[in-house]
Amino acid sequence: MTEQGETGEIITILLVEDDAPTCWRLQDALVKAGYEVRSAGTLGEARAALAGGAPRVLLTDLRLPDGHGIELIREMRQRFPDTEIMVISALGDEESVISAITVGATGYLLKDAFPTDIATTVRDLVAGHSPISASIARFIVRRTQGAAQNSAEPPPGPVLNTAKLTPREIDILWGIAKGFSYAEIASHLGLSKQTVPGHIKNIYRKLEVHTRSEAVFEAVQQGLIKL
Amino acid sequence: MSEVLAKAITKATTKATTTAPTRPRRQLIASRLVPYLLLQVLIVIVTILGLRLLQPSDPDDFAVSDFSAREDGLTRPVTLPHFTSSRYSLADPPFYAGAFSFRRDDAAAGWSVYLPRFSNAVEVAVNGVVVLDSRRDANANRPDRNTPEIAAIPASLLRDGSNEITVRLFVWGPLKGFLDTVYVGPDVALRPAYETRTLLFVTLPVVFSAWQSILAVILAIMWLMRRREPVYGVLATAMVLGVVQAFAPPPVPPAATSRLAAVLLASAPIESALVVMFGVLFFGWRWPRYGTLVFAPGIVVFVVGLIGGPPLPRILFLVLGIPTVGLCLFVMACVTATAVVRRQDAASFMIGCAVTIVLVCWIKDMLTVFEIVSNERIFVSRLSYSAMLVAIGAGLTWRFARALNQVDSFAGQLVTRVREAEERLKASFAREEERARAAALANERTRLMRDLHDGLGGQLVSIVALSERGHEGATITDAARAALKDLRLVIDSMDDIGGDLMLALGSWRERASAQLRPHDITLDWRVATPQGLPLHPELRPWHVIQIVRILDEAVTNAVKHAQARRIAVTIDTLDAGQGPYGVISVTDDGQGFAPNENNEAGRNGQTARGLRNMRSRAARCGAALDLSSDASGTRVRLQLPQRFPDSDAAAG
Repeated sequence: MTEQGETGEIITILLVEDDAPTCWRLQDALVKAGYEVRSAGTLGEARAALAGGAPRVLLTDLRLPDGHGIELIREMRQRFPDTEIMVISALGDEESVISAITVGATGYLLKDAFPTDIATTVRDLVAGHSPISASIARFIVRRTQGAAQNSAEPPPGPVLNTAKLTPREIDILWGIAKGFSYAEIASHLGLSKQTVPGHIKNIYRKLEVHTRSEAVFEAVQQGLIKL
Repeated sequence: MSEVLAKAITKATTKATTTAPTRPRRQLIASRLVPYLLLQVLIVIVTILGLRLLQPSDPDDFAVSDFSAREDGLTRPVTLPHFTSSRYSLADPPFYAGAFSFRRDDAAAGWSVYLPRFSNAVEVAVNGVVVLDSRRDANANRPDRNTPEIAAIPASLLRDGSNEITVRLFVWGPLKGFLDTVYVGPDVALRPAYETRTLLFVTLPVVFSAWQSILAVILAIMWLMRRREPVYGVLATAMVLGVVQAFAPPPVPPAATSRLAAVLLASAPIESALVVMFGVLFFGWRWPRYGTLVFAPGIVVFVVGLIGGPPLPRILFLVLGIPTVGLCLFVMACVTATAVVRRQDAASFMIGCAVTIVLVCWIKDMLTVFEIVSNERIFVSRLSYSAMLVAIGAGLTWRFARALNQVDSFAGQLVTRVREAEERLKASFAREEERARAAALANERTRLMRDLHDGLGGQLVSIVALSERGHEGATITDAARAALKDLRLVIDSMDDIGGDLMLALGSWRERASAQLRPHDITLDWRVATPQGLPLHPELRPWHVIQIVRILDEAVTNAVKHAQARRIAVTIDTLDAGQGPYGVISVTDDGQGFAPNENNEAGRNGQTARGLRNMRSRAARCGAALDLSSDASGTRVRLQLPQRFPDSDAAAG
């Protein structure tokens, strides 16, 4: 059984994880599902692997022995815009996932997820569906409200530009935070069930700070830097 | 050590002063009284010298002193100034006739006749024609006013050579009639002397009376605003009396209202009695009951004046009124001297000196009345009374300013104290808040630690135990997975969800469905109301942990023991009339168990413990747990409280 993309070619995955047992576990689950997996334990190995060409999907841990996964994600997004990027997280904590999203990740994977769930998540991502958890949705919405209320004390954690989010997208995030399923959210908001995952992908894209100059622009917009 | 010594010494000295107070006190009185008395002596001397200087000089070149006086039918030559005998009837007044020479060469300017001093009234005629009648000027008739008179002599009346001048002196007793030297000469020569006297004895008293009336108004306002201090009312009354006395024209015989003159006569003793009363009250003493006797003479004069006609009130005034004024002045002098010794303040010094001046002038007037000193019958008591008015005004102002200063400094102290108190309060409030926050934090930490011990700790221990026994596979995996799940639960509960339990349930749903997916169990999630559960601002992390653990336990039971295929979670908001409350139900389609028989007789001991745990968790956060189970499944119904409890009452 081989997992294939829309074009029919085999889906290649670059897995960057320094903890050997975790790496084996994920690799097993993905290989069993039919993906072609290359693995790397450090940033250097990952860069070396990329020299041979872009994978369809990058799965990376954030804390690596020779640097931070964020650097790899940023490089990947610039060099290979078509690659899907996913963060591997032990607990799915909002801060690390959101900082990965701001540099270009469009999904995350829990290290202890069941093998079937690991495969499903990657498949969904390739199909254009980004996974999002209730706590991450809550985190984003909280930032939106904080910005809207212009509160003097910004909530702790990474800076997030939520200004581009539409009210509809915020409603969807609220629904997810409160544990409603995509179908329930769609029916509450009068959407078709299929459009909800697309909205989520859009949300991820909007939270991404695309280029260096844009990062400066965003920082100025939010009053973080004074020119 | 030295501090103790110093204290002992001060104690000893204070003891010494208290046991033998008489000598230092006497010394103190002497040391204060002697300088004061010396000062008063100095003032007496200055006053006498001042009165000497006050004596106006008259143009002696034009004096006419040699007259023939006809009194009681007897004619004899007299030299002016001259006293007549005392009389009580205006009929047959003493008649003076004299002569002066006039040369027509001198008559470039008009001539006048000038009378510096007379009592009580005069009618002057030149060559038989009346040129001056002082009875028309009411104020001129008052013996205490020293009023001079001047009258121009029409040129047509004057003859070259000797001219006749006659003066009729109207006297109403009991004082003797008095006629000072008469001056006849060019108006230019006489008028300056007349004007000096007018300034001294007419204008100046009017100025002082105006000052007195202003003082009366100020004092009356003060008294109206501060009724508790009668001292101002007393003084205002005295001032009003003085003003009335000064400005009311005395009804002169033969006026119809001549009896009202008694009012004016009585005013002086009553006024002086009031001033004494003021002095006593002003220096902070109680007004003695017998003190009211000072008013008796004035009232007697007043009553007699209203009942009997003149000259009785005037005689009474002379006998009773004037000595009363003197007595009052003397009492006042004693009062101020005492005040000076006791208080040593500027007000008592000033009033004391003023009293001395007035007293000296009164004594001088008495000596004048009894013709012991001759000063041409100039009475100075009234004039000197103005010194008292000035002193009283200044004393009041001084005291008022000092009171204002005291109020200012008091207000300043008050502001400082309030600020200090405020700061202390703020500090203690901050401390209290800090302590409360620290306590709350400690409580929360304790609860979290307990939760971590209960859940994560136990699971990690079982992982260790399992791996030591060499058990491979599913059991260790389950234990580790449970530990991770518990860690997520605790971390998740720490998040601020703003009282919206739905946000915590949303995360739980994800975890539960991930847990159920490998078992192929469907999680049927249903929120009955679109907004979910009511908001609970009082919701704390430990409440969330308890609720989520209960739900976890229910789901775990359904998976492990009931072999359920489908688990339904229903979230509903109900309202029984006392406000909305949330209800969370977990229903499975498993084989159930019989909880009512006996908890130990359940499926196994673990289930029993699990159920007990669920109940105690529900009790801890004020929720009601309802469990029902039969062959068709189990239903756990958790009814949330309307308000979550602050303290963990059932924690044990």
